[in-house]
Parts: sequence; C-alpha cells; structure tokens
Amino acid sequence: MIKDFIKHLFPRAVLERNLTLSYTFCLGGLAFTCLVLLVASGGLLLFYYQPTPPAAYPSILLLESSVWGGRYLRSLHRLASHTFLVLIMLHTLRVVLTGAYEKPRQMNWVIGCALFFLAVFEGYTGYLLPMDQLALWATQTGMELLHIMPLGGALRSVLVPDGVGEAMSLLRFYVLHILMIPGALFLLSALHFYRIRKNKGVLPYL
Amino acid sequence: MKRGYLKSSPHFFRPVKAAFALTVLLLLALAFLVPAPLQEQANLARVPNPVKSAWFLLWIQELVSYSKYLIYLVVLLAASFVALPWLVPGAPTEGASWFARKRRALDLLALTVFAAVLALTAVAMYFRGANWQFVAPF
Repeated sequence: MIKDFIKHLFPRAVLERNLTLSYTFCLGGLAFTCLVLLVASGGLLLFYYQPTPPAAYPSILLLESSVWGGRYLRSLHRLASHTFLVLIMLHTLRVVLTGAYEKPRQMNWVIGCALFFLAVFEGYTGYLLPMDQLALWATQTGMELLHIMPLGGALRSVLVPDGVGEAMSLLRFYVLHILMIPGALFLLSALHFYRIRKNKGVLPYL
Repeated sequence: MKRGYLKSSPHFFRPVKAAFALTVLLLLALAFLVPAPLQEQANLARVPNPVKSAWFLLWIQELVSYSKYLIYLVVLLAASFVALPWLVPGAPTEGASWFARKRRALDLLALTVFAAVLALTAVAMYFRGANWQFVAPF
C-alpha cells in the first residue's frame, strides 16, 4: 500500500530529457530525504529527551553515556540537520539561477521560500534543546538579532516569555521543534510537490 | 507512450531511489566520523567570549556588528527574495535554463549575495575572537 501511495506521488510518465541530472542535481529531493531522516532520528531522541531546564542536559548526558547508540543517534540528527539546511540553500540557488521561479511557478516559489524560512527556524529551535553552553548562548544571540528586527521585540516575547533557557521558553522551543514546524514543513512540502506536478513537472519546460 | 516520454517506473524511480539510498548511507557513515559537540551545562552566569550564534545566522551577526541598522538590509533581502518572480523583466522564458541572457543581472546579483553570505559566515566563524575582534583563524 505504501509503495503504491509513493508511486502515485509521481507522474506516470516523464519527459526523457527531464531526467538529465544537471537540470536540478536532485537537490530538493535530497533535502527532503534529510527531512525524513531527521524525523526518524528525532523521533528516537524523543524517548530520552526531557524538555525542562534542570532535566534537559542530564537527559542528553544519559543518552550519550548509557544508551546504546545514543551518541551516534544525536550525531546523525545534528549532521542531517546541517546537511538539510545546506541542501535547501543550494536548491534555492539552483532555482534562482535556472529561473525556475518565473511565472507560472510563482506560487511554488513562495511556498519554497516559506519552506526555506521554516527550515532555518527549525534548525534554530533545535539548537537550544541540549541546554549546554553552546546551545544557550547561540540561542541568546539569535534572540538579540531578532530583537533588532522590525517587530522583533513582539516576536521575541512570544518565543521567549521568561528568558532564553527558562522553563516556558524551552517548552515553546521544544513544541515548535518537534511538532509545529515539522508539521508545517511536511504540509508545505506536499503542496510544493503537488505544485511541481501541476506546473507540468520539473525543468526544463515551463 | 508519447514520443520523448518514458514510464516513471523504472526510469524515474531508479535515480530517485539511488539518490535517496546514497544520501541516507552517506549521512549514516559520516555520523560515525563527526560527533555532535556537547559543552558544559548551560549557565547564564558564565558568558563565553565571544558569543556566537548558530552557524546559519552568523552572517547576520557579522553584518550587524558593523551597524545594527544593517538588519534592514537583511529584511530587504528577504523581501526581495520572496518577490523575485515579480522582479524579472519581460515575459516568462519559454524553457528554464541556467544563466539565461535576460536574467543575467539578477543572476549576478544572486551569486554576489550568496558569496557575501558565505564570506561573512567564514569571517564570523574563523576570524572573530574575544570582544568580536579580528584574530588569526589558527
């Protein structure tokens, strides 16, 4: 059933010349592969992570020292998240330089932009979760950058109502990171893929 | 089957599966070699010097270290980025292609911005030390 579902996500036939790798370098697909790997590795990390300021760091220590494969799983999640961001950036650059954002694909470009910003936000919210010095101060600096943006102060008070690394902000970052942003990423990815089919496939025929 | 077309299965699915498998295998292997860092427990009383943001935000941190008003440049860039389809002059191109003549100026601008973001990130990552002063990287 799953095989049939995946089959139906793709068109029944494709233009032979569209299979040329140098049109797209498959960067969007590779980024989506990383997203799937992130969900799988992140899902397993959830079994040990505790999203409270006193318990978060010890739960990572426990994962790394006492859980078989725990350290590896965390490394995989981190590496996949960095690769995901790099691939999305390269995919975006490819779309710009091939002009694939031009009309009639402008709506899919906007969806892609939303995916790009969400991916960065997903990376940012994940940064705080280990609650080590690197996590805390990188997040704190990010919040200061947000604060100097127009309307950044209001957004900061929503994200961090009680200070970076405090109970409420850690909980908000956690819920955003494991539920809301991944949900939005998958929803928009589905829409992104649907629009590619609706706009008659990948490059080069606009 | 129409001329010039191929059935997705297996002609399209084969490269998709290969790309999926290669990416997963590569990441699974690299995760053995690149361990995730874990510093000491977070402590608000112990401020590191310098304080650096996540790597993907470092370019913004470097930019605003010159003037905080440069944040408006970031906002302008983000807005222009979203509005890109409406900024291209003339009718849409018949077929998408790398570096089309009519978009040459935009492509050059995009490459310049991309290179600037990379350069700012590298400066912030490797050349900034205590009190955000320039230091030798190694």
